[in-house]
Amino acid sequence: MAKIQLFVNNKTRVIDVEPTMPLLWVLRDVIGLTATKYGCGIGQCGACTVMIDGQTIRSCSYLAIDAYQKNIITLEGISDDDFHPVQQAWIDEQVPQCGYCQNGQIMNAIALLEDNSNPTDQEIKEHMAGVICRCGTYPRILKAIKRAANQ
Amino acid sequence: MITRRSFIKSSSIVGGGLIVGLGVFNACKDKDRLTGGILNSLNSKKGISIGDFVCLQKDGTVFINLCKHEMGQGVSSGLTAILAEELDANWKKVRIVYADPIAGISNSTGGSTSTLDQWDELRKAGAFIRNLLLAAAAQHWGVDKMDCQAENSFIYLKNSRKKIEYGELVDKITLSETLEEPQFKKKDAYKLIGKSFPNKIIPDIITGRHPYGIDVRLPDMKYAAIERCPVFKGTLVRYDATEALAISGVEKVVEIKGKVLDGNTHIRSGLAVIANSTWAAFQGKRALIIEWNYGEKEKIKHEDFVASAFHKLAHEDGREALNVGETPKMQKTDSTFSQTYEFPYQHHACMEPLNATAIYTNNSCEIWTGTQSATYVMAKIEEHMGIPKENIKINCYPSGGGFGLRYWASYALEAVLVSKASGGDLIKMCYTREDDIKCDYLNSYEFNKHTVLIRNDKPISWSLKAAIDNWGAVLGWLYYDISHKYVEEVRINGFTQASAWRSVMANAEGFSTECFIDELAEKLNQDPLDFRLKLLEKDIMVDFNHTYTCNIKRLRNVLKLVSEKGNWGKKMKENSGQGIAVYPYMHGNGYGACIAEVSVSDKKIVIDKITIAIECGLIINPDFVKKQMEGGVIWALSAMFYGGTEYKNGEVLRSNFHDNKVLRIHEIPEIEVHLCESDENRPWGVGEIAPPVTYPAVCNAIYAATKKRIRKLPLEKSMLQ
Repeated sequence: MAKIQLFVNNKTRVIDVEPTMPLLWVLRDVIGLTATKYGCGIGQCGACTVMIDGQTIRSCSYLAIDAYQKNIITLEGISDDDFHPVQQAWIDEQVPQCGYCQNGQIMNAIALLEDNSNPTDQEIKEHMAGVICRCGTYPRILKAIKRAANQ
Repeated sequence: MITRRSFIKSSSIVGGGLIVGLGVFNACKDKDRLTGGILNSLNSKKGISIGDFVCLQKDGTVFINLCKHEMGQGVSSGLTAILAEELDANWKKVRIVYADPIAGISNSTGGSTSTLDQWDELRKAGAFIRNLLLAAAAQHWGVDKMDCQAENSFIYLKNSRKKIEYGELVDKITLSETLEEPQFKKKDAYKLIGKSFPNKIIPDIITGRHPYGIDVRLPDMKYAAIERCPVFKGTLVRYDATEALAISGVEKVVEIKGKVLDGNTHIRSGLAVIANSTWAAFQGKRALIIEWNYGEKEKIKHEDFVASAFHKLAHEDGREALNVGETPKMQKTDSTFSQTYEFPYQHHACMEPLNATAIYTNNSCEIWTGTQSATYVMAKIEEHMGIPKENIKINCYPSGGGFGLRYWASYALEAVLVSKASGGDLIKMCYTREDDIKCDYLNSYEFNKHTVLIRNDKPISWSLKAAIDNWGAVLGWLYYDISHKYVEEVRINGFTQASAWRSVMANAEGFSTECFIDELAEKLNQDPLDFRLKLLEKDIMVDFNHTYTCNIKRLRNVLKLVSEKGNWGKKMKENSGQGIAVYPYMHGNGYGACIAEVSVSDKKIVIDKITIAIECGLIINPDFVKKQMEGGVIWALSAMFYGGTEYKNGEVLRSNFHDNKVLRIHEIPEIEVHLCESDENRPWGVGEIAPPVTYPAVCNAIYAATKKRIRKLPLEKSMLQ
């Protein structure tokens, strides 16, 4: 076991973790932040996306100890009282169906718009291709990202 | 008429207010169990409850106990809106509760039937409560009830400024000796139904607060994962858990005995690892050394399975499912035309892997999970473990996708078995994605052989013979106006467990029927649309021995709509083509039609556009319907491009999203959805309408582009042959 300090959603957490444990399970099972979802465990589906120091990573394939003293933002931490503009666009376009993948969709959409405030359809598709939705909400994800970009 | 006696029997006064059980509205075999449930616990201090079913608090908040399973199809908001409409409740003050199973009420969620099943009950409930509130206000003001009207959670006194909010009335409700049968609102008075109101669960989803079963966290909860026999019906011979138990966090390894309970619920032999985190449980699972006896399923080879299907289609008499009209006697000038179509195994791959949290104590248990049929889960636990139903409590959660997989009891039952085997630990049992793929209940493999007898360039007899794997039954919805129809099925023995997969057998049969009719149109030198319309000319109701009869007018209307909106017959570029299809989904009595536009080069197929239309009766929420259609199209395209599975020695070879691919955002076509106007005065099914028409429309478009007929899915396998 290793005692590590993590900064999660602007809170300092000191936790004991197995050195082999991915960040996903530290967030979900140890800390109790369950917005970050387990979908595949091998970085294929994107449901477990979180941001570390402003970059999206797949928390299922990222060791918690590697996040030592880094700034982790999960879906729970992207907005305070108001919705983030991407969340608002998600409401306006009524994107989710079952919603399970939407953590990954939203986190990756935020990262895209931070890099590129006015992406083309092609750029959106390239950036979002790593996040699987089984319900088929893709047409609305496209619309919502464009809507958020316009605002 | 609802009598006071029957009302009181299923209702009670609690805390000065009214409790109404759903038993008032629906015959209930087990009235003694009507008390309890989530809403009663809401009751104690804050306000008042109207029900196991509806709770009206003093602050005016209305809680609605959702009897159906929310898995992304939108029932939580859709069903709630039906009740809120009749109750004239302020939509913003209505909140959804994911209900425990209520005795006597079917919570089975499947077949696109939730809305149509609950339409009457929910309207009755809403109107009934509105009536009570109107009466209470009238009595309060000393006026006639007819002088009061309900709107937006207030009762207004007509021709005055007097109004009173629903919450203020709950203590004023009294019961008369008899209660009036509620009157329903007229369609033109609807404020919610028919409008694209927002889905209530979306704010929770986008903030990570939507309560999936996998997110359950309880005090002293441990985590479990099961290493199951990779081959269906295989058994455990011996094992060594030393290395697993040496992993930090792993606490116990216990054996789970395999058992086939019925055609839908199977417990695989396995070993459960109990640990202090999901990760430790997963690691422990991987470290187990197990010797299995794979059993008979190991021996099934796919080529033999396919050969047996073709042999049976050719030589074995099947079970008759439909026989309509007189068998015509063959004449010299008659000809026959026959083709066989093959629809493969399909994986569910719900984004939320299967999971259930459970605790077993002294012949009772409590479960926290997302299930499409909590009552079935309870029945199977009672059957397999001997725990009486009254000792089983299920806390129902919404799911990250269901698609038929969550209809059955295995995963909830497994969690209870693990808890019992561990000596009563409270455990959250979660499938790895690999478990979820390898131990999936696959869509039944199905072969459909269509044959017509042609006389004077007209089909006069149509038969469908289906060879179906271990689950399901032929539907035989032969809707075209051909005087003699015959449907039969033979069974084939596949390598693994099969079950419901969104649109069930309508996937195979929509695909085969509409590809076949396209081939037939070509053989008879007719335009695919004109040919279909001619065979759907009469406004008749066609009986398939199903709950609902097929309304040909509705079917024709949706086909016509899609042909107009999709510009049927427009000029297409070289190597591209249009395909059309129409299909009735009789489980939900909803009708779909589709036009696909595809282009093909070097055997690479690109779907350029899908235009799809639905006739689903009265529409509760147009936007919800559109979403289900968009999703259904993408579901079908995933199955066409990446579906099927591979297996060897009884084991599924796919394991995760890298080899069980599904469509990603860059692969989707433009999708246009049209909603067909309807004379129906009630809602019909929506969720499973799109896939059965998408497959054949795409295959028929590929033919138009390439002159190659697709009779086998997934496409890759067909195109490369």
